[in-house]
Amino acid sequence: MRLTKILRWSLGAALPLCFAVPAMAAETHGYVISWFATATHAADFATNCPENRNGGRTELTIRALIDIGYTREEALDMVKNAAVSTALPADVTKKMENRAIVNGKPQSIYNYPEAVHDPNLETVIGKFAYGFDLGGRTEANKFEDPDTRQKVDNQLWRAVGCTESFRAIPPVMPYPEELAWNLMIDTAPAWVFSITGDDLSKDGKVTVTLDRVTQHMERDASGNVLSNMTYVLEQGTRSHNVLQGEIKDGMLSITPAEIYLEGEMPYYSEIAIRNTHMRINTRNPDAKLVGYWGGYINWTRFIYMYTSRPGNNADSIGLYHALKRMADSDPDPKTGQNRYISTTWRMEATPAYIAKADGKIIASPAPRNTTVPEKVADASVRP
Amino acid sequence: MVKVSRKSLALAASAAVLGIALPAFYTRAADTAAPAEVALSLRLSPSQYKQSMADIFGPAISITGRFEPETREEGLMAIGAAKANISDTGVERYDDLARGISIQVVSAQHRETFIPCTPQNAKTHDDACTRAFVSNIGRLIYRRALTEEEIQSKVKAAAYAADTHRDFYAGMSAALADMLISPNFLFRQRTTEADPEHPGQTRLDGISKATALSFFLWNSAPDDMLLKAAETGDIHSKEGLKKQVDRMVSSPAVEGGVRAFFSDMLGFSEFETLSKDPQFFPRYTLKVKDESQEQTLRTVVDHLVRRQGDYRDLFTTPHTYLTRSLAALYDVPLVETTDNGEPQHWQAYTYPAGDPRAGLLAQASFVALWSPAGRTSPTGRGKALRELILCQTVPPPPGNVDFKFVQDTSNPVYKTTRDRLTAHRSEAMCAGCHKITDPIGLALENFDSAGGYRTTENGVAIDTSGELSGAKFDGPIGLAKVLHDDPSVTNCVAKKTFAFGAGHMPKSDDPEWQLIQKKFTDSKYNFVELLRQVALSQVLYSVPSSNAKAP
Repeated sequence: MRLTKILRWSLGAALPLCFAVPAMAAETHGYVISWFATATHAADFATNCPENRNGGRTELTIRALIDIGYTREEALDMVKNAAVSTALPADVTKKMENRAIVNGKPQSIYNYPEAVHDPNLETVIGKFAYGFDLGGRTEANKFEDPDTRQKVDNQLWRAVGCTESFRAIPPVMPYPEELAWNLMIDTAPAWVFSITGDDLSKDGKVTVTLDRVTQHMERDASGNVLSNMTYVLEQGTRSHNVLQGEIKDGMLSITPAEIYLEGEMPYYSEIAIRNTHMRINTRNPDAKLVGYWGGYINWTRFIYMYTSRPGNNADSIGLYHALKRMADSDPDPKTGQNRYISTTWRMEATPAYIAKADGKIIASPAPRNTTVPEKVADASVRP
Repeated sequence: MVKVSRKSLALAASAAVLGIALPAFYTRAADTAAPAEVALSLRLSPSQYKQSMADIFGPAISITGRFEPETREEGLMAIGAAKANISDTGVERYDDLARGISIQVVSAQHRETFIPCTPQNAKTHDDACTRAFVSNIGRLIYRRALTEEEIQSKVKAAAYAADTHRDFYAGMSAALADMLISPNFLFRQRTTEADPEHPGQTRLDGISKATALSFFLWNSAPDDMLLKAAETGDIHSKEGLKKQVDRMVSSPAVEGGVRAFFSDMLGFSEFETLSKDPQFFPRYTLKVKDESQEQTLRTVVDHLVRRQGDYRDLFTTPHTYLTRSLAALYDVPLVETTDNGEPQHWQAYTYPAGDPRAGLLAQASFVALWSPAGRTSPTGRGKALRELILCQTVPPPPGNVDFKFVQDTSNPVYKTTRDRLTAHRSEAMCAGCHKITDPIGLALENFDSAGGYRTTENGVAIDTSGELSGAKFDGPIGLAKVLHDDPSVTNCVAKKTFAFGAGHMPKSDDPEWQLIQKKFTDSKYNFVELLRQVALSQVLYSVPSSNAKAP
């Protein structure tokens, strides 16, 4: 308790420093993070996952039924009936969900995924994945980035890339992330991104800040995130990140750093990345930012989003074990089990105003880079 | 004149099965002729209907359903209302609305609030309780006390429905629905009586006078004090009328009347069919579409009622109200520090000096409303400005107009709308009218079809120079300043305010109209004073000429 108090006091004392605004600069462009999910490279699925043995939701349900004692034929019949009646019998579902055995007693697989046997999901063996060379020591684990042709540490993709859930090509997000994201963005406080530099239309050194704000995003008439809205920074400092960066040929990169953004269920409850790298295009015609973040995350915190939602992800137990196997950083001194896994995230950010709670505007939307011509949408209307 | 379709008779027949007797008025009032300039009855507008319900039952009763479409005459729905009747479909719509409201009012959730008594037996009728309810609520709905015959009719209808359904509240619901579909509610009646001060002549009776006054100033039914002034006859004296008018223009409820007038004058009914291409104008959401109307009405009320400002300054005022979504449309920051999850709030906002967005014409409620879905229309905006703000008439285009230049927005030669309209005007048949509309519409070209600000079109700088009545200007602010000093602007709003109350446009030689104009000018174009003068004049209380002489 005393230690906690001391830590709180220390954080409080550090507040003014944390909120120190970047050095006076000519301009600061603001954005709200409008798309954020695991970076997939699913176009070459056949190469990545030649066995294609992970199956979809139905197959995974059949395997779970076999796990609790049914034969494949019985399981198949039950699933067929369930397709008609829309659900398995409640007692069967309960048994499936409580097939983790802890101290000899049945427990929820979502609370104790480690107490269920590893279904041994197929993992990615392909050559390409988006990301960064994070300095991982195992050369055999390295992918190649299809854009930069550089080496990539991205064991998260290796673990999840052969599952049905992550077989998505942007702008489509992996299914569980898309489901959670679309619920979250209409209710949960958003994350904002700002770039400060002398002249952001030119290459040069910049300061990047990441923050959480007090408002959720609003949608535009197309269902996308509304641009040029004003967001107010939250008062706390937990999600305030200041990063040093550089824009070269319009691509933003940063000096590797640790970042933390508090999230909200049903999406990830936090985005906490160590050794974060970024590669973000700042010169898109619509003024949006599009790019990648890479770094190491705690894989148990990642998987919590999947296992904490019973019934939503039939492959969550398989994902748990695959992540555990593929984790490639920060070994536990006692067990040797790696606690972190290399990852890459794809991000889009939409131009926005950012303000402090006192009303001061600290970032403005980046201007569009092209003039989009108006069109004739209604020929019947008089001139 | 009230006209009700044959279907109403069928409705009356089916309603009778449920014990809902439609009033005999449906057929009675239809026979009375009225001169064109003064109507005997005016159909309630949707906003008047809603406001009346809100005033009587409060905001907890929701009104869902569609209304009979309104008709615009001489630029105002208020004039159209004098000629409006109810169609077959309209009867069904009003019936749906009435049933929806009455079911809510007698529901278990609300009956204790609205029904002043509890039946002795909830499975059958209770005439005494029904009578109390019908008498109290009927006075507010009909805007007058019900006659004994009317009360008895409702009590009888309620008893029939209650016994049929073995539910006292079903009977109350039927009686209430009966009143809500009655022409006594749906139409503002003008009934006359002998004028004791002018033997041989008639005047509007007190209730008709109170109703006219209340809908003009408040866009709603008379309140208890006004009804009392009508019932006692105080409203007929100069002092009595002045007392009521002064009370009403000082009440916050006058904002309802100001809102109704400007919604009508600025053509907001057109929003019902307005849409924008989301691919090109993604910030123009349905929410923003609604909010843009509210922005203008808040601006108007703030400037004209709260600040008691000069009407002409509405075209140049930098003060307005925004939500975060509207601010995004206009690309201005708007800081809101309320908790996440709360609805967006309206905030007062002042544009910095020199900002091109000052005044009503820069708001999306004007520039977006008068543009097609995917491009701007200086012609449409210019026509709207001429007709709505200056009370001028722009002839319709001929049927065989060739729009090839105007609609070709990706034409490599004619890159801007001005270029395309110049090419269009090279055709002689188009040039005449476009000279009237385009120079003022082009001044607003900095605003795209949705109301967003721009300085270029297809990479070319937009030229916003123009001319109005010989005065040259540049850009939206220049146009606003010219309008500010144009006497047609104040003359037009006075004319329309007169017509909003009278149901017809003033005649230039009408001494009352001339007096109203003078007092408006003398008040430095104080709009509330204009309302007051119209309310104190005889404009609102004219007797149809066929009824002017006592029988």
